[in-house]
Amino acid sequence: MRERSGNRGGSRTTALLLSACLGTSPATAQDITTSLVDIHQGSPLSDRARSLGDGGYELQNGSWVSFNQWYHTNWLDLHVDLLTQLTENTGILWGFGTGEKGEKYSVEPSLKLGFLTQTHPTPKSTLSFSLTSTIGGNLTEKPCVANYGDLGIYSVNCRLAATDMAPEETLKYLVNAKPESMHLWLNYRVTF
Amino acid sequence: MKKSSRSRSPRLSSYFLFDRSKNMSGSRWKFGLAALAILSAPIASAQEALDADEMAALCHGGGSICVSAKIPAARTTQAVQSWMSPDVGAAWAAGYKGKGATITVVDDFSSSSRFSGNFGVGVQYQRHGEWTREEASMIAPSATIKSKDFSTSSAVRLARGLNVLNLSYGMYATQGYNVSQIGWSAEEASIISYAGKGSAVVSKAAGNDSVAVGGVTGGRQDYLDLALIGKASAIFVGALATNGTTSTPAQLAWYSNYAGSDPLVQSHFLVVGVEGDKTGLYGTSFAAPIISGYAAVIGSKFTKATPTQITNDLLNTARTDTLVNYNASVYGKGEASLSRALAPVSIR
Repeated sequence: MRERSGNRGGSRTTALLLSACLGTSPATAQDITTSLVDIHQGSPLSDRARSLGDGGYELQNGSWVSFNQWYHTNWLDLHVDLLTQLTENTGILWGFGTGEKGEKYSVEPSLKLGFLTQTHPTPKSTLSFSLTSTIGGNLTEKPCVANYGDLGIYSVNCRLAATDMAPEETLKYLVNAKPESMHLWLNYRVTF
Repeated sequence: MKKSSRSRSPRLSSYFLFDRSKNMSGSRWKFGLAALAILSAPIASAQEALDADEMAALCHGGGSICVSAKIPAARTTQAVQSWMSPDVGAAWAAGYKGKGATITVVDDFSSSSRFSGNFGVGVQYQRHGEWTREEASMIAPSATIKSKDFSTSSAVRLARGLNVLNLSYGMYATQGYNVSQIGWSAEEASIISYAGKGSAVVSKAAGNDSVAVGGVTGGRQDYLDLALIGKASAIFVGALATNGTTSTPAQLAWYSNYAGSDPLVQSHFLVVGVEGDKTGLYGTSFAAPIISGYAAVIGSKFTKATPTQITNDLLNTARTDTLVNYNASVYGKGEASLSRALAPVSIR
């Protein structure tokens, strides 16, 4: 598995790439180009899912249950961002995320859609603006089934089965998180 | 203290189970090491010490708030003490403190007999029942603690929710009777009935005569032990000299009664550490309240569980790897483990 933070292109890098794409590939109506802007694995929600794997507890017979087995994945959410240039100064940003899945969680696949536009206040400066929206990509934690012997079988939050609250109460603490749904980006660049 | 007895029934005497005495004849109470050991403790004067009720009436809340009203004396100092199993701290950290459960301590709350000890909150001079009540309340600080003076002999009344009865005493009579011949008072009859029906977890101190539960000592037997054998929600509690760990296993305290060869006793017998070197209090009297507290703590997690289910949970999760030369005839099911009793059997 690859390290997550190192794989995610920062927005600054993406921004420069976006500007570069628009700046270097003038388009005409006959010449619409699509450029790869960014590709990375992992996301804040992916990180969050991973952090759920820290810790563990003993079962009644003393055997250790590690959370890692439930929040481990062999495939980190892969994000691909593309820019389709419509004019010299405008383009459509789009992309997708593959999502990821562990035994007790899933990050849904996602779609990203938005636009990028830029203007040149001076010959040596560029003001860029982009707005993107993400659909899907929710992190959903799944419950476990805990067998407490004579005390019954309950649907529980896997992480809290032995360490917190009545079984039914633990379900309130299942993680259900949405990714950043809207991303606004403004950039001013001066070349000298 | 003579308990009620009916015609043609053996006369029963109740004894506290906080220590072993080899000089039982002519003695009503089993005093001994518990009282002696504490003599070295730094108390100013036993005569000057107030009883717990008086102290509570004077000052409550660490002495910073003083009121004139009579306040129930049960102390609920919510701190993990050195005499407790590390399991207790772990359970508390997870939020289990016995809320919703009622522990009824059937014991002596009225006699003039008091002795000293220290549960980590300073040396106190209290009646036997005040000690066992305090101990149970320290294990399960959010539980409701009720006191039932056993001299009243009236039936024990159950509260709403989970009920736990703590019995740190025995009912002794000359050996050889059948339990059915015993004319129980309403008090013990109710307790035995609750244990049989599974209406309350009954935590019974095993006894301090170094014999098997219900065994003969000095020509007498604890008929309350005998009456509780085979009852669904009864637990006999023996004392370990220390809290056991896998690296430092514990052994049965020298005075503690053991499970014996009866499978019915073995399957309902637990042991817990009674670290008298830290408290000045020895005896299975101080083992039973730990199990009472554990039962309340488990009940605060499994709010729909029946007393029998909680009893079985404690019995089925006892550890044997923390004991020296585990043997069911000595340790029964093993050392009670609160953390394991709260954990799942399996999870997927």
